[in-house]
Amino acid sequence: MATRRKKNRLAATASSILLFGILTSLLGCEQTDNRQVVTLWHQMVPRERVVLDRLIAKFEATHPDIRIRALYKETEELRSGFQAAALAGIGPELVYGPSDVLGAFHSMRIIQDMSPWVPEQFEENFLKEALTYLPGPTDSQQRVLVQIPDRFGNHLALVYNRNFIAVPPKTTDDLIRLGIANTIDADHDGRNERYGLVWNFAEPFFMIPFLTGHGGWVFDDSGKPVPALDTPECVAALQMVVALRDKYKIVPRSCDYETADSLFKSGKAAMIINGDWIWTDYLETQGIDAVVAPLPVVSSTGKPMAPMVSPKGYSLNAFASTKGASAAMQFVLMMTSEKTQREFMQEVRILPSRKALLQDPALSADPTLLASKQQLGNGRMMPVETELRAVWDAMRPHYQSLLGGNLSAEQAAQAMQKDALRGIELLNRKSTEAPAAWAWQLTGILLIASLVVWQRQSIADFFPDIRRQPFAYLLIAPALATIFLTVVFPFGYNVALSLSDMSLTNFQDWKIVGLRNYVEVLSEAKFFFILLKTLVWTLVNVAFHVGIGVMLAIAINGPIRGKTIYRILLIIPWAVPAYITALTWRSMFHFDYGAVNLLAGNLLGIDPINWWNDPGPAFAACIVANVWLGYPFMMVIALGGLQGIPGELYEAAKIDGATRWQQFRNVTLPLLKPVLAPAVTLGAIWTFNNLNVIWLVSNGGEPADKTHILVSYVYKAVFNLYRYGYGSALSMVIFAILLVASLISLQRSKATENVYG
Amino acid sequence: MDKPTEPRSISLLRHAVLLVFAAISVYPVLTVVSISLRPGNQLQSTDLSIIPEGWSFDSYRELLFEQPFLLWLGNSILVSALVTLTGVAMAAIGGYALSRFKFIGRQSTMLALLTTQMFPATMLLLPLYILIAKLHLVNTFLGLMIFYVSTALPFCVWQMKGFYDTIPTSLEEAARIDGCSQLEAFTKVILPIAVPGLVITALFSFMTAWSEYLVAAQVLQESELFTLPLGIKSFQASMSTQWGLYAAASILVSLPVVVVFLALSKFLVSGMTLGAVKE
Repeated sequence: MATRRKKNRLAATASSILLFGILTSLLGCEQTDNRQVVTLWHQMVPRERVVLDRLIAKFEATHPDIRIRALYKETEELRSGFQAAALAGIGPELVYGPSDVLGAFHSMRIIQDMSPWVPEQFEENFLKEALTYLPGPTDSQQRVLVQIPDRFGNHLALVYNRNFIAVPPKTTDDLIRLGIANTIDADHDGRNERYGLVWNFAEPFFMIPFLTGHGGWVFDDSGKPVPALDTPECVAALQMVVALRDKYKIVPRSCDYETADSLFKSGKAAMIINGDWIWTDYLETQGIDAVVAPLPVVSSTGKPMAPMVSPKGYSLNAFASTKGASAAMQFVLMMTSEKTQREFMQEVRILPSRKALLQDPALSADPTLLASKQQLGNGRMMPVETELRAVWDAMRPHYQSLLGGNLSAEQAAQAMQKDALRGIELLNRKSTEAPAAWAWQLTGILLIASLVVWQRQSIADFFPDIRRQPFAYLLIAPALATIFLTVVFPFGYNVALSLSDMSLTNFQDWKIVGLRNYVEVLSEAKFFFILLKTLVWTLVNVAFHVGIGVMLAIAINGPIRGKTIYRILLIIPWAVPAYITALTWRSMFHFDYGAVNLLAGNLLGIDPINWWNDPGPAFAACIVANVWLGYPFMMVIALGGLQGIPGELYEAAKIDGATRWQQFRNVTLPLLKPVLAPAVTLGAIWTFNNLNVIWLVSNGGEPADKTHILVSYVYKAVFNLYRYGYGSALSMVIFAILLVASLISLQRSKATENVYG
Repeated sequence: MDKPTEPRSISLLRHAVLLVFAAISVYPVLTVVSISLRPGNQLQSTDLSIIPEGWSFDSYRELLFEQPFLLWLGNSILVSALVTLTGVAMAAIGGYALSRFKFIGRQSTMLALLTTQMFPATMLLLPLYILIAKLHLVNTFLGLMIFYVSTALPFCVWQMKGFYDTIPTSLEEAARIDGCSQLEAFTKVILPIAVPGLVITALFSFMTAWSEYLVAAQVLQESELFTLPLGIKSFQASMSTQWGLYAAASILVSLPVVVVFLALSKFLVSGMTLGAVKE
């Protein structure tokens, strides 16, 4: 026995040495490279990344002491990620993207003035509005250069398929006429084979040309960012969008970005409104003959439909090291040079930010670039003010309600204006209360002290108990230490934030202001409604997960053929990444083309449902998708649990004359309970906090922000309006709700106790 | 072992239930396959056909030969395997302690484990960045591993505890009487019976590491170190996603999961019942 124990110990030592070796190899990616690394987070589309990679290689060849590390980040990820990373001091030196985030980055003071690095007369070479200057933080006369653009545009235009349309529409009356002629249902099955016009009409950015065509704009002409949405112009624009769909019936009843894109690419739409980032894709798509043209003039006003235009370019991290910043700026100057911009212009058909290139022969030789330039000519500059964010946020839900037929154009415009004003107020709120940090520190110390006093008996017994049964403590220590390392700091940080005034205006110099955020969370009527919805979401999902999972486990756990095949097929929803299956579920609920409506129609003769028009069906669709994602996991757990049930118990039950149902009720269930309990408890917590599925399936809360559960609501509050304090407080409330709920359920189920004990 | 037989009606019922759910499980994934075969990067299709018009394996070819997919695969396998090993080991012993010993703070430990899962992950972005910077974990797999293990552990420990709870304590008592040490009673007697639990724990740890995206995006700032979810996400761009590659990669990513599951599920459905228990 003793020698064997020794052997075991040897084996344990050897394996821990091995593990240590692997760990050190994981840590030490030895850097033999002494070059200055410049990290760039960019938002270039795949086609542009090819050019970017080539230019980086060229730059590194001519600058042997610099290495460029380019990482693609999705729009929202770049924005929220950069804020956090910059503050933590590990942000990238450079961020690349459209100018609409600059106002926020500048307010947060996480980007810096680039003018010290640019050569003399640099400004004259660029288009007037392409270089973005913002007033200094202390001196409003100072001009801070916050972005150097490598392009100008990012605008919408009309793309038409020449197979169907010979001459593009000049006016909206033309557009409607062409649209009607090209909306075709040849077999009269109620589903069109071709639509006249498609575009992403669920998104307000795509509505701007209709607004400008009717003489309106998102802000009024006071020069300050005051929203102007409750205007006759805005109402007329909204009415026109609805009329295109409901009166002239030339656009699909339900059409998000991907639907519009697919319809146009597959020749099932004659015209599409889309941006310069995608035109080359259309030109190169087989089977269609795409041509870009400027948007038409609105017939009733005689004004052109003007899209928003903005520069895209590079901004410099305020916390970059001196060496890093100077290396980064060398790269930026190369990337915004005339030569580079010409390459991008020719290869991906985007307009340059330098004046000289607009007269370049390469531009006039390309009909797409010419049309683009013409469209740019009547475009309107996208405001860089952060207030625009509040405007988009206010427009989206009411715009979607209007499209869902739940609001009139007048009501929608009114509601948009009201919410935009409120959003702007929230964005710009400065904290006025005097900070009483010491009071809060004192409260914290008192809380901890009272906890110690309350648990004094346990603490006193703790060390003797370690000596009494060291084995138990030794076994649990590794798990606790790992978790402790990663959990304690983030949690403490959030407690602090939830008591603070951290927001757009107090991003770096936030201070403790007390319970204000909690009062705000709990005094909002919406909170309780969303909480109720979250509870329904959790209960329904978990009930189906467990019910289906246990049923499948029992079905598969008998003497049947094909177990392996069934097991593989049933595990699939868990195996395939949710970030794509959630999207396929969304498309399966599409009004015209979704499998759910088609199958229900063909097999059961049910009329198609417009899932994303009303909150009820939309929420149900999200639940269906999440149930599908979750039952395989419960099945696996239940399968494992069934193995632990001794066969003798069933034998005994049979001898006692128990029916199958009684066997299930009295043997299977009670013995499955200890194994299922952790999965059910944690499953409920994960479902309660499941952001991804709701977000992906409902496309961020469609319709009209009515599918939100608490976490997606937090996400919106924090990342759309930069309300960090409020978001943290809401997270703490979520935490408290879950804590209380689990305490109650643990108390009742005694899941922490041994089943045989 | 004699094969137990069942009435035909029961066996038919089993097949009916399994067939219906197999179809439901597979159909949405078939549409993903369809996207991966479809030319021209389209997410939405206008008909129900699974094999699209003009289909090709171009996305798969590009993925395997022109994209660093295999590099990402290697990174993911390394990270997931280490997380699985560490997670299973820690959970196996931690769960045992919670199931068998009445030590001080046991109840609070159980609860504390649970509470770590209660905080919405969205709010953790900022503190996690600070933590990663402070611990110098940027661009290290160790950083990823620490976070993944600690994400997976609460469930794994609870799960193992639940499993040990179904095993009668009389087994260890008998082993101790036979002269086993505390440790030996655990490793030689209890652990082998708890294999189904270990399998679930392993599968869960593996999946946690395999599909995680948010933390990886914060820790890894170098495309050579990307794990699969990060790599796949890079095919997605707002309003111009490469749907073909995105779907093809998602399909390929799920194959190893199926393989791991099959390999492990031998222990899950092999009928390792507690023949040893004679009370």
